[in-house]
Amino acid sequence: MDNAVYVALGRQAGLRDEMRLVANNVANMSTAGYRREATLFSEVIARLPVEGGSVSMSRARVRVTDFAPGIAEATGGALDLAIDGSGFFRVETPAGERLTRAGAFLQRADGSVATAEGHVLLDAGGAPVVLPPGASEIAVGADGSVSVDGRPAARLGLVAPADGAALIRETGQLFEATGPVEPVETHLRQGFLEGSNVSPVTELARMIAVQRAYEAGQRALEQEDQRVRTAVRTLAGTA
Amino acid sequence: MRALKIAATGMQAQQTRVEVISNNLANMSTTAYNPRRAEFADLHYEQSRRPGTVNAADGSVLPTGVQLGLGVRTSAVTMEIAQGSLRNTGGDLDLAIEGDGYLEVLLPTGLSAFTRDGALKRDADGLIVTSDGHPVIPEITVPADARAISINADGEVYAYFDDQVEGRQLGAFALAGFANEKGLEAMGGNLYRETAASGAPEIGEAGRDGRGVFRQGFLEDSAVDAVREITRLIEAQRGYELNAKVITAADQMMAASAQIR
Repeated sequence: MDNAVYVALGRQAGLRDEMRLVANNVANMSTAGYRREATLFSEVIARLPVEGGSVSMSRARVRVTDFAPGIAEATGGALDLAIDGSGFFRVETPAGERLTRAGAFLQRADGSVATAEGHVLLDAGGAPVVLPPGASEIAVGADGSVSVDGRPAARLGLVAPADGAALIRETGQLFEATGPVEPVETHLRQGFLEGSNVSPVTELARMIAVQRAYEAGQRALEQEDQRVRTAVRTLAGTA
Repeated sequence: MRALKIAATGMQAQQTRVEVISNNLANMSTTAYNPRRAEFADLHYEQSRRPGTVNAADGSVLPTGVQLGLGVRTSAVTMEIAQGSLRNTGGDLDLAIEGDGYLEVLLPTGLSAFTRDGALKRDADGLIVTSDGHPVIPEITVPADARAISINADGEVYAYFDDQVEGRQLGAFALAGFANEKGLEAMGGNLYRETAASGAPEIGEAGRDGRGVFRQGFLEDSAVDAVREITRLIEAQRGYELNAKVITAADQMMAASAQIR
């Protein structure tokens, strides 16, 4: 008959996970292109041996990524690109193609455009973007057209996962699509970087809520402990 | 309680940010200094349930999984390439570079370094050197009896003498361009070293192929924008405090669990 304890423990385990997630969001509040995460608690119904009896428990097993846009900060960099609206850049990594919204790119010595971690940016057709090395002026239009010293050089395209494809988070603000991706309308802003979409106030409020809920669970456990003790003492006294 | 360690990575990141900002502010009067920017990346995710896994109970596909983030790390500290404003100094060997390009200087080790700091001087032999005494390549020596020196936009150096009407050309400064300026390695003293990431320097005449031009009598100011740095500093400080709050909260949750009898 320890159901009350299990209900409280299940809730606390979920809250610990949620705390970890809040910590991760707060830690990444300055990570360009980071998307905040949230948990969803779901109900698990356990049947009890008594006729028609059941107990409801909660489990934090689902995580959702909040794809709301972050605030764009003006940096003035020619290859700092912020995405206006939805969509992702495509980059090539050793593990395959990945999606990202972190738009701080650099031009490498061979002319290819890559992230600070060396993942090469892919254009609308899926080929690596290569700009003439030593270019003095790189202009990126809102529609993704790149011109170097006045001559067209590349065309960037944004993609989004097609229906049914999920995104797996990876280090470096990368996402792996589990299914096909499809091109979406491209709106870019040159000279801006999209920040993290973590709102410090919201996270702080969630953190307090989690902490208090955790303490409430703790009190429920203590009272249950007290109840069992009293029961044992009373029953032992009468026997 | 992983939240403790995750918040610690967050505090570390914000601390790195404050360090980068303080270095920028310290260099807000350094000739031709380019501000740096700390960039962060989220750490690895523990994939405890991958999205797209088939749910054994009813065969449906999970639309989202369970991925536990482990915090943040510094991915790069990049140079923000920007032209600083030009300050009129009137010095005949003060050279500002307007546009792209670096002056090549010779280090005592025999290797080349690159700089945009054009506060040049003459040494005892009349050789044109940087403030630290490194000769500028190509080496140009100003004769002791020269009355005045004039350097034009293309970097050609002319000396004028008392007994001559026309100036004599002593040589010409060249500019070095890089495919990836941000890949240069900062050596301190406003000097940069070529790396595999920056590519080899392309040295040529100023004002050609996208290279900048020289402005005699000017120096390039630091490109640090104090207002932007201060707003970033405020953000970083609040971020640090917020991460510290997470540590406190996680600690209190642990304390609550530890009270169990």
